[in-house]
Amino acid sequence: MSELYYIIFLPLLAGIILFAFPERIRMIKGIVALIISGISFFFAIRLFSYSPQLVNLDLFSFLFSQNSIAYKVLQGASEFSSYNIDNLGKFITLGICFFSMLILLYSLAYLDKNRSPHNYYPYFLITMGLSAGAALTDNLLLFIAFWGFLGLTLYKLIKADNDQSSSAAKKTLILVGSSDAIMILGIGIIWQVYGTFAISELDIPTTSPILVIAFLSLLIGSFTKAGAFPFHTWIPDYAQHAPASSSACLPASLDKLLGIYFLTRICVDMFSLSQWLTFLLLLLGVMTIIFAVMMALVQHNFKRLLGYHAVSQVGYMVVGLGLGTPLGIAGGLFHMINHALYKSGLFLAAGNIEAQTGKKNLDELGGLSRIMPVTFISALIFALAISGVPPFNGFASKWLIYQGIIDFGREPGLANNLWILWLGLAVLGSALTLASFIKFISGIFLGRMSDKLSKVREASILMWLPCLVLALICTFFGIMASQTVIPKMIMPLIGDFEYPGIWDSTVVSILILVSIILGGIIYLAANMKRFRSEDSFIGGEKIGEENSFSVVEFYKTIREFKLLSIIYDWAEQKWFDLYDLLKKVTLSFSKWLSMAHTGTLTFYAVWILAGLIIMFIVML
Amino acid sequence: MLQNLFHFLIYPGLLFVTVIGGLLSWFDRKVTAMVQFRKGPPILQPFYDFLKLLLVKETILPAQGSKITFLMAPVCALCAAILSGLFILFPLLGIKAGFSGDLIVLFYLLSIPSLAYMIGGLASGNPLASVGASREMKLMISYELTFLLVIAGIILKAGMNIRLFDVLQVQNDTGAFIGSISGVLLFIASIFCLQAKLGLVPFDMAEAETEIMHGHFIEYSGLPYALIKLTKYIMLFILPAFLVAIFMGGFKWQGIHILWSVLKILVVVLLLTLIRNTNPRIKINQAMRFFFLWMNLLAIIAIVLIFFGL
Repeated sequence: MSELYYIIFLPLLAGIILFAFPERIRMIKGIVALIISGISFFFAIRLFSYSPQLVNLDLFSFLFSQNSIAYKVLQGASEFSSYNIDNLGKFITLGICFFSMLILLYSLAYLDKNRSPHNYYPYFLITMGLSAGAALTDNLLLFIAFWGFLGLTLYKLIKADNDQSSSAAKKTLILVGSSDAIMILGIGIIWQVYGTFAISELDIPTTSPILVIAFLSLLIGSFTKAGAFPFHTWIPDYAQHAPASSSACLPASLDKLLGIYFLTRICVDMFSLSQWLTFLLLLLGVMTIIFAVMMALVQHNFKRLLGYHAVSQVGYMVVGLGLGTPLGIAGGLFHMINHALYKSGLFLAAGNIEAQTGKKNLDELGGLSRIMPVTFISALIFALAISGVPPFNGFASKWLIYQGIIDFGREPGLANNLWILWLGLAVLGSALTLASFIKFISGIFLGRMSDKLSKVREASILMWLPCLVLALICTFFGIMASQTVIPKMIMPLIGDFEYPGIWDSTVVSILILVSIILGGIIYLAANMKRFRSEDSFIGGEKIGEENSFSVVEFYKTIREFKLLSIIYDWAEQKWFDLYDLLKKVTLSFSKWLSMAHTGTLTFYAVWILAGLIIMFIVML
Repeated sequence: MLQNLFHFLIYPGLLFVTVIGGLLSWFDRKVTAMVQFRKGPPILQPFYDFLKLLLVKETILPAQGSKITFLMAPVCALCAAILSGLFILFPLLGIKAGFSGDLIVLFYLLSIPSLAYMIGGLASGNPLASVGASREMKLMISYELTFLLVIAGIILKAGMNIRLFDVLQVQNDTGAFIGSISGVLLFIASIFCLQAKLGLVPFDMAEAETEIMHGHFIEYSGLPYALIKLTKYIMLFILPAFLVAIFMGGFKWQGIHILWSVLKILVVVLLLTLIRNTNPRIKINQAMRFFFLWMNLLAIIAIVLIFFGL
């Protein structure tokens, strides 16, 4: 199993060594990082061919002589270093290595002096190694170690050079870090009750309260990492302020893969869920979908808009996994990989826009489809895929999840009887996603272009190529979904199942292609060259600021509905933000405590004396 | 594959749905004329309109827009309309084809034409098209949930089957779904969804000729507009056919049943036409409230009734 060294420890060590080199040779560091990620990707593919097995990996004790203390310590530590090479772990590892490589390629062109966080490449490699480690390890202690360090690298991948971005970084660190602390509680309970840290040995019923607490604390960890309601609030801030390549790497792909991976592990392998927990998961899932997408509708900053979608899509995965049926789990996992594909693609496209135009808001852009055609085509495919438009991949996984929900409704039970509620809200979320992506696409690429943007050019090949690759994979996964991709890729992860519905993705895609070609032929036959171009007619008025109707105003009607506007107001005052709520509580406590700080010396002396007396009495 | 292409382009695809859709469009216009005490157009008028746009009229492109997107959007709309037509008509006409789709697929495919209109309109760069697209999107958000609830009600009634073929089978065995209280309520909700999907008064605020000059279609002319017209004819046939399939037990092609089958479609189209001729256009926020509160309520009541077996 020497592959594991190359996948987990090579990036880690290389990352640590790269710290030693100065930032001036950032480009060379980037190329080295790309090569290392390529090696890891190669070994991840090789790992894929192994049959499922449990392995114990020696933690480099062979480097020392047999009698030395280091040897004995490392030998002892290697006991904890056990890895579970099962289908799910291999699949996630492959995904992690693939996305890291693609995004590193993108970073080479995207990151310049102004955008690059300090030591970006070393932290990136460390992130990659840690993620692969977390996805493969079978030991909960080792897992929490990998997982915990990931929170730190996430923090370091934002360039915190102004107030807003450093507060976003701080928020991320505090939320992710405290969720890790809660996870340790869960792991402790499991150790206390079962006496083992091995994930593969656990099968815990959620009957007694203490085990439910263990489950919930692990759930909080995976929810925070993946970004599900109500622990999602770091993602929009992070997406807005971090460089696009960091967002594409962490909240969009790696963290989703890991968070959902761990959710699958706890929901499917480690615990057997009771009915109430299923209900809770489904409820949180649909709330994630709806709340996040409603917030996305009214955003002006396009990276923040994408950040909210990175939250809302998690809802579908949580719903899929919460169902607990093979169909639902398959849907959730398929949606996870699809989401990683199109959301990292969207962030990369957003990075292209930002790098080429220097603009961050939708109302400053428009009409870029003619000058950035490749970015436009890729972004359009991603947008259609995320909105679940057939025949793209997002539709295929949503189709699986919806079937899972309907299938789930056949069984008796509280959560089962409410299947229409889950289905309705999931579909509504899909329509709202479409709405906000209409805004995204038209705000950036369609419509009239302002004169200020006329000098903009298409991004360099290193930047559009990763987008195009991801777009092609999205299309491919969508076209081959029901006959090839789901049976060959998703079924090995959780076992075989039958579809209750029918969707012949391949035939339909061919027919769509045929009709597009026919459409092209009709236009050519009609002598398209002779089509006249005229400026728009708007009832005889001149187009100006007042009647240009910016996309920002698109969903004002929704914002102004009575009940909704109250909720939006609350959301803008951050009443749904766990972090800000806790901050308010903490600050009010410290305000209360600070009343004792009058600045008078005698007053403090009295306090000290009182304290001493109390201590004295206690000691007696 | 050749057989699939035949299904797609000839029967029951493009050619078939266009002919039936054109005739239904004439029916719609004739009824409208009768409501307004006019004589109305000859039976082939819709086809004349289409051919005139296709062959005679000049195509003008927006100078400020994204031309390729603008031109390809109608093609995508047409393609999605034909595909959803196929998936509705295969079970209805009893054709065994090599491919198919279930109710979820249909639900998504039926929303693509509106999506394509929006993208096409936005690509034209005209501010009025932008207004139209924004209204269309808001309208879509509001009716999609109702439409989904209707479909969910049908799935529940059909014993949790999501294939249209099975839904027809169940109706064959137990009687058409419209014969129950819940069925009637769902039918009412779905008629209004259809009205919105087809962009007919009172939900034509996205097109609003008198106000924003056809909204997202404002820049279309000649050939691409001919394709849009074609899509509209097709939608006027397949959406009522869908309702006939999920509520009225579908078609039967023996003896007197042929007459019934034709009548079923005509009745649905007649309903749509009468609603559109007797109502004023409402504002977009009124439409949203109408669907979000009232139609969803209606659909939910129907679903609760289904749970009690009514």
